[in-house]
Amino acid sequence: MSLITPSSRGKGSGTQQKAGGRRAENNRIYAHPLPLLFVDPPKTRMTSVLGLLGLSLTRVENPHCEGVFDPITRSVWVSKPEHSTILWRRGFFGKGDLSRSEPSWLARQINIKKNGGKQLTSEEVREKRRAERKQFKLDRAKAIAAVAEEAEKIFAEEGRVIAPALSGPNIPSAATWKPSPKPQPTEAETPEASEEPIPLVDLEPLEDVEHLQLTLQEAFFLLWNLDCLTVLDPDTLSPMPIKEIWLAFQRSELPPSISICVSGEDLQFDNPFLVNYVVYHHYRSLGWVIKGGIKFCVDYLLYKRGPVFAHAELALVVLPVYEDPADQKASNLDLQNSSPFAWSWLSTINRVNSQVQKTLVLVYVTIPARSRVPLKALQSPSCFSYYSIREVVLRRFIPARMRD
Amino acid sequence: MDDALEIPSSDLKNVPTAEEPQDDQNSDDEEGGLDWTKLLPASARPVIPKRGEKEFEPRGAGGTNLQQHVLDRSRSAMFETLKSQRTISSKSVSYGTWYPSLGRTHVTTARGIHFSNMGHSAPRSVLGEDGVSKVQKRLELLPEEALYLIERGSLFCWYDRGTEPRIPDLPKDVDGTPMSVQQAFTEMIGRDGLTLEKFQVYSYLKRLGYVVTRTDPPDSYYPIPSDTGETSTHGHINLPVFTSIYSFLTSSISNVLRIVMGSMNWWKPIRIGRLWCASNKSYASLYRSLRFMPAGHNIPLNTRQPSEPTSPYKLFFNLYKPSTPFKKSAPPPPDFQIVVVNARTTPMPTLQELTNLFDQVPESPLPAPRPRRNLQPEGKEKSSPSETPTTPLKADVKAVSILQRFFLWFSPQTPKTEPTEPVRRINPFMALKTGKKIVIIAAVDTGNISFFRFGQGEFTEWSMA
Repeated sequence: MSLITPSSRGKGSGTQQKAGGRRAENNRIYAHPLPLLFVDPPKTRMTSVLGLLGLSLTRVENPHCEGVFDPITRSVWVSKPEHSTILWRRGFFGKGDLSRSEPSWLARQINIKKNGGKQLTSEEVREKRRAERKQFKLDRAKAIAAVAEEAEKIFAEEGRVIAPALSGPNIPSAATWKPSPKPQPTEAETPEASEEPIPLVDLEPLEDVEHLQLTLQEAFFLLWNLDCLTVLDPDTLSPMPIKEIWLAFQRSELPPSISICVSGEDLQFDNPFLVNYVVYHHYRSLGWVIKGGIKFCVDYLLYKRGPVFAHAELALVVLPVYEDPADQKASNLDLQNSSPFAWSWLSTINRVNSQVQKTLVLVYVTIPARSRVPLKALQSPSCFSYYSIREVVLRRFIPARMRD
Repeated sequence: MDDALEIPSSDLKNVPTAEEPQDDQNSDDEEGGLDWTKLLPASARPVIPKRGEKEFEPRGAGGTNLQQHVLDRSRSAMFETLKSQRTISSKSVSYGTWYPSLGRTHVTTARGIHFSNMGHSAPRSVLGEDGVSKVQKRLELLPEEALYLIERGSLFCWYDRGTEPRIPDLPKDVDGTPMSVQQAFTEMIGRDGLTLEKFQVYSYLKRLGYVVTRTDPPDSYYPIPSDTGETSTHGHINLPVFTSIYSFLTSSISNVLRIVMGSMNWWKPIRIGRLWCASNKSYASLYRSLRFMPAGHNIPLNTRQPSEPTSPYKLFFNLYKPSTPFKKSAPPPPDFQIVVVNARTTPMPTLQELTNLFDQVPESPLPAPRPRRNLQPEGKEKSSPSETPTTPLKADVKAVSILQRFFLWFSPQTPKTEPTEPVRRINPFMALKTGKKIVIIAAVDTGNISFFRFGQGEFTEWSMA
């Protein structure tokens, strides 16, 4: 599914072969779950001797990517294409700001210029699918209307009641319907159409204006644990030290204060950055690929291995829980979902997610009480040890189907 | 086909047999409306479109003549069915007396199979023929049980006039006044914790064939799941704590040590490449060392509860599947336990409320048969793919020389790697989606019941890396 890579496809003829080929290629492109690489030195006698001693010369290759902190959008922008490619392919970090997920804007533009390149980007595949779906619905409606018209006629003329078929050989269904071949442009138009795009290709080369956007959680995970991301200050473009980043990421989520406290008195435990980071880190550490889930009314989606391999089967709703309800009253933040929501809302999100074969998981994150933990703890990531995560898996229970 | 079981009728012959092909996949199946034309006598039964299919396209204003005709026909069939008088055979009806002071219905004549799983015996002092009161066991119904039987036309109930109960000589020789269905509703809802929502849940589940009992015994004579069930509940509470603490310690012993001993550098939590240890340089070990966020249901909950003594989240009903063998005097451990709340007035449970519920529920085993069925044929056909993952491991072990094994044995990282890898061949997705403990909450929104199963998730036990 990687669309940017020039691929060596076209050899496989059958669709099955194609799918298998794509899977193999995905396995190759997305072989590494994290940006760090473990490079084994070539096998020599020396390495085997060291191996016997439980030692190894395996080198850790750190890609050292670079990004600019953008406090307004609460994200880190990775502009170098080689860096964004690494971060996307090794762990599916970030999102192209002009794309659905993988930064593919440039590839799409090139496709348009070539007037329909063979390798469609995922956005283009989706557009095509939507157009086909629309046509299918129109065709089906037409067929149903025709059958209903016939039944109506019989009823009016003979008084017989025939239930108009809503499915059957004459009504196209999603399984049988096939897109009709593209309406061929009339021959008079063809030469003009084919003439035009050719000069376009020779125009000035396209500049990739897209960047990869990392959420603050993703950026902090990369720079704090793996040390493979350097975050630059938006004003000076100089690398920010980690202690500065820690405070800046927290402050970007807080309402602006008039005086910037150097002492850190302005920090608070219910900061959305901290709550979400705890969740993000927890599932990353368990090997999941965790991406945003706003399309499904949830906070996060969990992918096994990554979005190119399988659909997400689990949808997470983050539910922050204040250990001390007094902290919630005193807080200047209205933390999302921190109070239990209504059953109707639960039904809504559960319905949306079961429609797309996802299981809803309520992720409760406890926020340490101020009376228990001093605010000083927020000065460093050691405060994470005071939070805790619990999962509650939610599904509809249908008694009519549980009878055995 | 499930609707067939829900139709209130006193006569089983009226229930239409399941003629339609089963489509269990259709989630709207049990939610679609009744097809009233089906209830007409078979001779007059018209041909109707299969339920569940809707016309996709709107046609004209207010529908066409044909649509109007079909609709009218279905509607009048419904009215016809509802209009017909409901009758009970005098041979199959049971009789009882409602004692408002007790909140119980004394069944004087028990007929039919209902009483194999409804009602319980209670010793009450009755006035014998000789005028001396003595204690006698008798069959009593809880308010929901009596109301359910009255509503479906299986029980005729008398209202006790308050005289000293005595042994009835004849079934109909009862001291009281007859009760109407309406009177039964006003009398019995509100007694013994029975709300209208709870009764709706009760009768819905009963019509589906479940056996439904109270979780908390309403009186001391009420049979509850035998001590084996009770003790196992307690045993289950203690056991997983130990095992999970054990697994928690073993799986991330170094992380725990790092945090507890304060040796962890919080500005640089992961140290990669510093050590020359071979076991330290892999994605698996990297992921393991990342697991230091406190997670799981066994971590003590430090929430401070505002004094809130009455939570609506209490286990109320025990549920037994129709297939579960049920003995009224010694009920087995329930298949499910249900909380009933009013969805309009009650928000979702808080974490504390959920934790309290999970603490009362035993651990439920994973539904094992399904994966087994899948695995066995595969194993026969494809030279056991389940074994393939283990074989490379063995090969690795063989490749390791004795000397190396000796060193591995001494190196501190190796022993802890073993417990983290689950030896059981269970689909992790199934385990994750099921959860360890299950509580069912029925949220009743003005008559509409939504059942949700809340599973205690254990993601830490099933890592993807």
